Amino acid sequence: MNIKKKLTSKKLLLPVGTIIAIILIWQAVAVFIVGNKFFLPSFTDVLEAGYMTIFGPKGTLFEDFLYSMLHFFIGMIAALLVGIPVGILMGWFKDADSALNPIIEILRPIPPLAWIPFAIIWFGLTDIAAGFIIFIGAVFPIMINTYTGFRNVPKVFIEAGKVLGCTNNITLIRKIAFPSAVPSIISGIRIAMGVGWMCLVAAEIFGAGSGKYGLGKNLWTYYNLHQMPSVVVYMLVLGFIGLAIDLLFRYYVNREMLKWMEEGM
Amino acid sequence: MKKISGLILLVFIAAAVVLTAGCTGTDETPAGTAEELNFGYQPSTHQIAYMAAMEKGWWSENLAPFGYTIDRNKNEFQFPTGAPEMQSMIAGDIDVAYVGAAPVISALATGLDGKIVAAVQTQGSALVVGNDIVYEKPEDLKGHTIATFPPGTIQDTLLRGWLRDNGIDDENDVDIRPMGPGDAITAITAGQIDAVFLPAPSPTIVENDGAGRIVVNSGEMMKNHPCCVLVVSGKMIRENPDAVAEIIKTHIKATDYIKANKDEAAEIYSGYTKNTVETVKDSFSNWDGEWVSDPNIITGGVMDYVKTQAELGYIEKELTQDEIFDLSFYEKATA
Repeated sequence: MNIKKKLTSKKLLLPVGTIIAIILIWQAVAVFIVGNKFFLPSFTDVLEAGYMTIFGPKGTLFEDFLYSMLHFFIGMIAALLVGIPVGILMGWFKDADSALNPIIEILRPIPPLAWIPFAIIWFGLTDIAAGFIIFIGAVFPIMINTYTGFRNVPKVFIEAGKVLGCTNNITLIRKIAFPSAVPSIISGIRIAMGVGWMCLVAAEIFGAGSGKYGLGKNLWTYYNLHQMPSVVVYMLVLGFIGLAIDLLFRYYVNREMLKWMEEGM
Repeated sequence: MKKISGLILLVFIAAAVVLTAGCTGTDETPAGTAEELNFGYQPSTHQIAYMAAMEKGWWSENLAPFGYTIDRNKNEFQFPTGAPEMQSMIAGDIDVAYVGAAPVISALATGLDGKIVAAVQTQGSALVVGNDIVYEKPEDLKGHTIATFPPGTIQDTLLRGWLRDNGIDDENDVDIRPMGPGDAITAITAGQIDAVFLPAPSPTIVENDGAGRIVVNSGEMMKNHPCCVLVVSGKMIRENPDAVAEIIKTHIKATDYIKANKDEAAEIYSGYTKNTVETVKDSFSNWDGEWVSDPNIITGGVMDYVKTQAELGYIEKELTQDEIFDLSFYEKATA
């Protein structure tokens, strides 16, 4: 009991202590060394700016959050709908792999930013255009991890399945390969969410979406007006939301989708 | 507990190192070394004077006696709009800026150490509407999407001010999208937005692409309105005021030169950007801009921008003329 209590307090004390130390260092450096909130806003500058972006007359942080989540979901859902089926197709059928692999390997390294001109031309200044940029960032991790998951299905699983009556591709995929590949797919989704979230600022930089709201959009607005404390607020909000998304996803995955795996272990 | 103590001690040691490291910095330039001078500019025909002076080697030639070295490959920086250019100047990365007057205002309000010392040109932007858009008066813009430069720029400040003057709510009656010149041209060419308000030569590019037509020149929004200006850093003003006067002399020479040699000016601009010479010449015939040097003719207009930017909430306090301009160098340069 004592050991457990000690471990708990240590687990809590270390990260909290580190964060507090960093904040103190940050404040001290900003106030006494840099002394210019353009170059480095202090922690208190950022708190004040944070208050104004939420409650001030021109504050739109909450609306920005909602619009950015809309763009994020558009991109992620599209990435899932495209990435998983294509990954399955390439992972399961060698001919599909041979046909599509070169195309995907050419498209994959192209940065999402490079797609902005076509996002404008194809989709205009819409939420879908912003979602498209996020989709580009997110679809490849999903596709490749799905592909990898299907390629790495143990052969004995396939053979056992066939013996037990799964004799066509659809049932083999559905009952054997997909469950086996799920851990890899989930890993891909998690990576994709991180990459997609990182693409958010790029997705909102060119005036897409509502034109007034978006975390990336208004981060850039404050940048253009040289209001650096507010820029830092938005940067931190992006970081915290990214963290929250990852934690929620991991919680959901552990609780729902990989229950059988944990029980097995 | 020992581990925690050790960690805390380590953190404080790191903090101490950071604190002391900051105190040991030095800004001194080694004696005898020529100082590099960094220029910022935008890809607009508004600022051809800058490009001409660089192309002709006048910047490096005229400023060398004052202890400056200027290498075109290292010391000039192009920015899509004025806002990031001012960001760089606030950060100390550029010493001389050809930039819109409005971004200078919002930059000064947030800590820029610099002054407007000369004018570069007046007017010179235009509202272009898509082919399917009916336009006869400002009210016809209601319900439409207009792309223009980001908040704090000349185009954004001027457009919003003009809309308000005409009884149009710039936040709710029209949909203003902040964009760089390339994105805006792409969007209207693709028919994805209804209008753009951009500095030359972009309006001509859109017209020549058959994607729209110019319906309002910016001089109709505010007659003889200030546009681009020449800004010099406070550091340079304090340390080398004679060089500042020389910069203005060079600017005046370049301005007179491009006015007298428009064909060559078009070629210089074409060399700096990817526009064809023909497009640039078309834009000269197609704009209402005028290249100028005298800052005295623009002080009133700039103060109008200050008022507009305060109303728009871009700046928290209104700046005074003396906080924005230093007119003495122009007098010195033209004496």
